[in-house]
Amino acid sequence: MSTAAAWATPPTRTELIENLVSGVDRYNPSNVGILEDYLYHQIRSEEYDCLANLAIVKLYQFNPDLYNPDVVINILIKALTSTPFPDFNLCISLLDDRPANTNPDEPDPLPSLLPVITELHNLLQQCRFPAFWKLYRSERAESLRDNYTVECVGFEDAVRRVVVQTVKAAFKRIGSDRLSTYLNLTGDDLAAYVEKLGWTLDSSSGVISIPPNPDNQIESTVVQENIQLSQLVKVIAHSQVA
Amino acid sequence: MAQQRKALWEADLDEEFHDVDLNLAIGNYGQNGLYDDAQPRIDEATLIAVQQQVAQQAALAAIPDPVKRFIVHFHQAVLDNNLAEITVAYESGWNRLTDKFYAKTEWPEAETIAPLVNDDQIFLILYRELYYRHVYSRLQPDIDDRFHSYENSCELFNYLLNSDGPVPLELPEQWLWDIIDEFIYQFQSFCVWRSKVKSKTDEELMLLVDGSQVWSSYSVLNVLYSLIQKSKINEHILALQQGKSKEEINEIVGEYGSRPLYRMLGYFSLIGLLRVHSLLGDFTLALKVMESVELNQKSPFTRVTACHVTTYYYVGFCYIMLQRYPDAIRAFVSILNFILRMRQYHTRSYQYDQINKTADRMYALFAICNALSPSRVDDNILNVVKERYGEQLAKMSRGEEGLPAFEELFLYACPKFISANPPPYEEAELLQAYIEDPPVEPAQRHLSLFLNDVRAKLPVPTLRSFLKLYTSLDASKLANFLDADEEEMVQQLMVMKQASRSISRVENEKGLLGGQTISTSDLDFVIDVNMVNIAESTVGRRYAGWFIRNTEHAQRVLDTLRNTPLPSFKPAAPTAATPIKDPNASAPANPPRTGGQRVAWGGVKAA
Repeated sequence: MSTAAAWATPPTRTELIENLVSGVDRYNPSNVGILEDYLYHQIRSEEYDCLANLAIVKLYQFNPDLYNPDVVINILIKALTSTPFPDFNLCISLLDDRPANTNPDEPDPLPSLLPVITELHNLLQQCRFPAFWKLYRSERAESLRDNYTVECVGFEDAVRRVVVQTVKAAFKRIGSDRLSTYLNLTGDDLAAYVEKLGWTLDSSSGVISIPPNPDNQIESTVVQENIQLSQLVKVIAHSQVA
Repeated sequence: MAQQRKALWEADLDEEFHDVDLNLAIGNYGQNGLYDDAQPRIDEATLIAVQQQVAQQAALAAIPDPVKRFIVHFHQAVLDNNLAEITVAYESGWNRLTDKFYAKTEWPEAETIAPLVNDDQIFLILYRELYYRHVYSRLQPDIDDRFHSYENSCELFNYLLNSDGPVPLELPEQWLWDIIDEFIYQFQSFCVWRSKVKSKTDEELMLLVDGSQVWSSYSVLNVLYSLIQKSKINEHILALQQGKSKEEINEIVGEYGSRPLYRMLGYFSLIGLLRVHSLLGDFTLALKVMESVELNQKSPFTRVTACHVTTYYYVGFCYIMLQRYPDAIRAFVSILNFILRMRQYHTRSYQYDQINKTADRMYALFAICNALSPSRVDDNILNVVKERYGEQLAKMSRGEEGLPAFEELFLYACPKFISANPPPYEEAELLQAYIEDPPVEPAQRHLSLFLNDVRAKLPVPTLRSFLKLYTSLDASKLANFLDADEEEMVQQLMVMKQASRSISRVENEKGLLGGQTISTSDLDFVIDVNMVNIAESTVGRRYAGWFIRNTEHAQRVLDTLRNTPLPSFKPAAPTAATPIKDPNASAPANPPRTGGQRVAWGGVKAA
């Protein structure tokens, strides 16, 4: 169940991190290392904690000296796969007035990568999944792939989870060709992935059935007015008096 | 002259100032060495002080008598902790005299009136609080005013937080709210002013280099967090929710929190944090600090209307930025109805204008939410929105050409966003680069993020208008109607599906960030390979509210009639009740025709 409470407080969050996220210690610049380590832990173990990552960006906002572009890029990559939730924008919101890069020896990779990441995010947000994969596999995203997403365990599967969430809400059945372009999987890979999801592929027609869920069951209803006794108390009480 | 007097001021403050960092709460990161250089200036300052004394005596003599009397009286009221008298002086006396004597000039300097109040330092701090607020609201604050108002706020909070034990001061709730509200306003105003590099004089540039910690985000957050911790307001609210007794609560919140002054300052600081975090673009944290607050109108903390309105405005706005439109709509509807109800009592309050302005911005935000997530939550509010923003509302449902309308309303209604950091005043080279290539203004940055989301959802209204006409439709046919590529159109349908779901708080859920996925649209669809199946939910006509109101109204009329004695002869009054009684009982169950007009809750005012 995708409750917002689990988003605000993921079960994988440790007490140490919880204290940083919820307490005033989140403002202490010397804690940035702990939060950054936690981010790299998320990268390695397919966990995700938006609020903890926002706390890092917050520290960067108040202490521009702490700013570490690699960390920011990793945070954005993590936020990318939480679409359609607005995590990506929430992170960008805090990345304001960063000082111009003053060190020519260590060029900041963010300015060149940010447009690509943002475009990837927009494509996901607009459910243009085939275009997402095309851009992701393109030369423009090469540096992003080779330096960042390759380190992020299960990144592509995380994108596929975004796709699956969307598809299972909108479809009862979907052609496997179409799904193949959405998931960027073909042949046996696709069949295996579909099976793992518990969806069924009818191999003769190439149509995949998606089990019923609250979003792909539609029903016409008429909402009738529901009058509660409490609304009538005054009227009834008065008629007794009269 | 002003420059030299500043030195004196700093010298006086010097010792206390080292305590001002209020490091109880979040530490004084990078704020040390603030006023180290004040010491050598003292000798020079002493000399000037003597000269000034003479000047001040003359200034004191020039103050009009009614103002002198007012200040003496005001001082006495504060000394006596006489809340009623303080309220009168604060809410009417001050404003009356401002209009009469100080509409276009400053009130007398605190140093000038000091002899009238026996040099009472605490009163003088409070006096300066009003003095600077007047400068900000009616005049143009210069850099000295901005720096000094900051110092005065620090002194005030220092006194409240770092005295031995809670201070014996009592102030009206309204004033306490205004103190926090004004503190944040001045912070925001300073940040905006600071970011405009080009218009600064050399002297201002110099002062900005030296005073880089004045009005820093850290120092402002420090004050708010300290007040929250000192007052134990979160624990207090929690205890109230658990139904603890007054004695138990006092036990929990301790010597500070049990005093109204600290309790209210603590609560107002929570709202202050909500606002500061919103201004800085941290919308999740803004809602998170409100975790323990229950948004309803029965809480004991909602007596200050301005605070109440501010709370809902920022909560609603944060929900918009979290793309939780149903929650935003609920917040706006709730407070806008409150304001409509309160209007009759508040027209003469000096805050009425401010509340009205905020309300108008919330109508604009409501229009945005309604365009992105149409719903029929409250026809009453929606009607006002149609009246005020009908044109924009229509545009916003028209795809690409509606974008300017979103932009216009957003920029009008959004908070006055600020940057967390000053331009690089201390490094000339960087500053030059900053002037040549200024960063995007905060409001524009947040606008473009918001518009990104809007842009993603642009195809929705058009798709919706087509789907409404069918119960099932082939995807290729729909693509044909839209003159679009079939695959692209299917992807847009998925966007539409996404837009019809939202996270929303469910009843009684704790915290403002919690919530479940709900469906927000009356039009739902599902794609079966290439066939789009559509289902629509309709809301039946609502009669009950209208009939209940009018029944109650009829009863009141009847009661009045009955209780009015006829002048000439004794009437057989009770019989008059019989014919009326009948419709009372049957009306809600068996409604007569209403001429086809749509009437919803609150659609008709029962006078």
